[in-house]
Amino acid sequence: MAWKRIKASLPPGRHYFSGNEAVAEGAISAGCRFYAGYPITPSSEIMERMAHRLGQTGGVFVQMEDELSSISAVTGASWAGAKAMTATSGPGFSLMMEGIGYAAFTETPCVIVDIQRAGPSTGQATRVGSGDIMQAKWGSHGDYQIIVLSPWSVQEMYEQTIQAFNLAERYRVPTFLMGEEAVGHLRENLEIEPWVRVFDRKKATGRPPFEAKSPRQIPPMPSFGEGERLLVTGSTHDGLGIRRTDDPKVHARLIERINDKILLNKPTIVDVDGFFLDDARVAVLCYGFTARSSLSAVKGLREEGYRVGFMRLKTLWPFPHENVGELSERVERIFVPEMNRGQVGGEAMKSSQCEIISFCQTNGEVIRPEVIRKELMRLL
Amino acid sequence: MSKAVQVRFGGFGGQGIVLAGLLLGRAASFDSKFVAGSNSYGAQARGSACRSEVIISEDPIDFPHVTIPDILVVMSQRAYELFSRQLARGGLIFYDSQFISPRRRRGVVEVSATGMALQDIGDKRVANVILLAAVVATTGIVSQEALLRAIDESVKDRHLEFNKKAAALGFGYKGVLP
Repeated sequence: MAWKRIKASLPPGRHYFSGNEAVAEGAISAGCRFYAGYPITPSSEIMERMAHRLGQTGGVFVQMEDELSSISAVTGASWAGAKAMTATSGPGFSLMMEGIGYAAFTETPCVIVDIQRAGPSTGQATRVGSGDIMQAKWGSHGDYQIIVLSPWSVQEMYEQTIQAFNLAERYRVPTFLMGEEAVGHLRENLEIEPWVRVFDRKKATGRPPFEAKSPRQIPPMPSFGEGERLLVTGSTHDGLGIRRTDDPKVHARLIERINDKILLNKPTIVDVDGFFLDDARVAVLCYGFTARSSLSAVKGLREEGYRVGFMRLKTLWPFPHENVGELSERVERIFVPEMNRGQVGGEAMKSSQCEIISFCQTNGEVIRPEVIRKELMRLL
Repeated sequence: MSKAVQVRFGGFGGQGIVLAGLLLGRAASFDSKFVAGSNSYGAQARGSACRSEVIISEDPIDFPHVTIPDILVVMSQRAYELFSRQLARGGLIFYDSQFISPRRRRGVVEVSATGMALQDIGDKRVANVILLAAVVATTGIVSQEALLRAIDESVKDRHLEFNKKAAALGFGYKGVLP
């Protein structure tokens, strides 16, 4: 079995941590032993703690010259057999896009953390935003799939980082933790369980590393130095990794496989959370920090007898269209508050049977519960 | 404590406003409370406006930022002017008398934190801990043991002794509740 149980990186019990510190601990707990990055506000505490913790755990930490090299070093480390991670924010995330496409096409397990700030460009470096949700999915060219998680608490920054490593290893895919400044710098209790369940990539001597028997299956992944004949290329390749740059069948088959391996496994990847949905007329569809404000607003309105419900997307990509579709058949309207210009609201429209009302706030500040409450009152 | 208590600290960068929030949050965590802590975050350095916030609750905290503080702890006149109007009914303002002359009389607790730091310890850097300890002694929002443990875990070894001395001074300065 590729699942195993290992000891958590910290003594079990309660710790008082920031979200960024929790990401680093989650990575160490998941078995991450390689970090390459370039510091950037508001993600730098992740890098700082990784420098400290990898030194203690026998891992490798490299401060690179920029984010292009950071993502490439992470990809290389993964092919050398390490669980590898980088963390950044908007401007660095943009620089990583070419390397992310390479990682996706070579089916390289790796974790990329984006602590989002107010963009575009340098924007407001210390302020919050969630403007990188579409970029995480569509930022590199060509057709590929990735997995994106969206944490709303310090506890989830830890747990979803572990989950991100497990998903990356299991599906051989770059996996993203899309936090926001407000969660990265939030301090809360972090409850550490003594044991962590981790997934290590499958190995199979002599089997092709880029070919699977069924579209749902994930090919085994050898590392350099294990004695396998191994070729890794960002050009179109056959099952053995040999470049096949003008065979239409090989290209079509590869593109189909790297998309299907994620999309057909959606039921085991996607995770959503819901409250007060049974008799709801209006539902709030939310994610990340804004879900905290939304829950506060929804609870208040429920206490006053309003029929309002709450659905939180813990997975943003592959997008939970099935859950949104099902929700839209039960409620009259879906309200989507976001710290961007409606990135998830727009995506939800693809599967919704009811009206989607997008609420956008892009002033570098979190959306407060009273703002969501006021908007919901208009709809109820 | 049935409802959540919201605490806001305000002052200049460099006075230890962020550390005061961190210590209070960690102490509440040791007391097995739910906690949410945040602080102003920017490119500003020493001498600029600085804020830090903590929510302490028996129940899970939905929205983790302070909405209306129950306790305001201020170390600069500017922070007093800026924040004193946003206070819950029956709320308290603790202020460092070295820097602030309050306009209001009700709900204010004077602590000569910087004065005591200079006079009794000879280092004004620990004024924040004196003030925080006075807040803790007066309101009981966290236990004194928890605050000492938080200092132990958050402060560098070479600064430990005079921070603990500062806490002891603050604990002794129990403000008279207005």
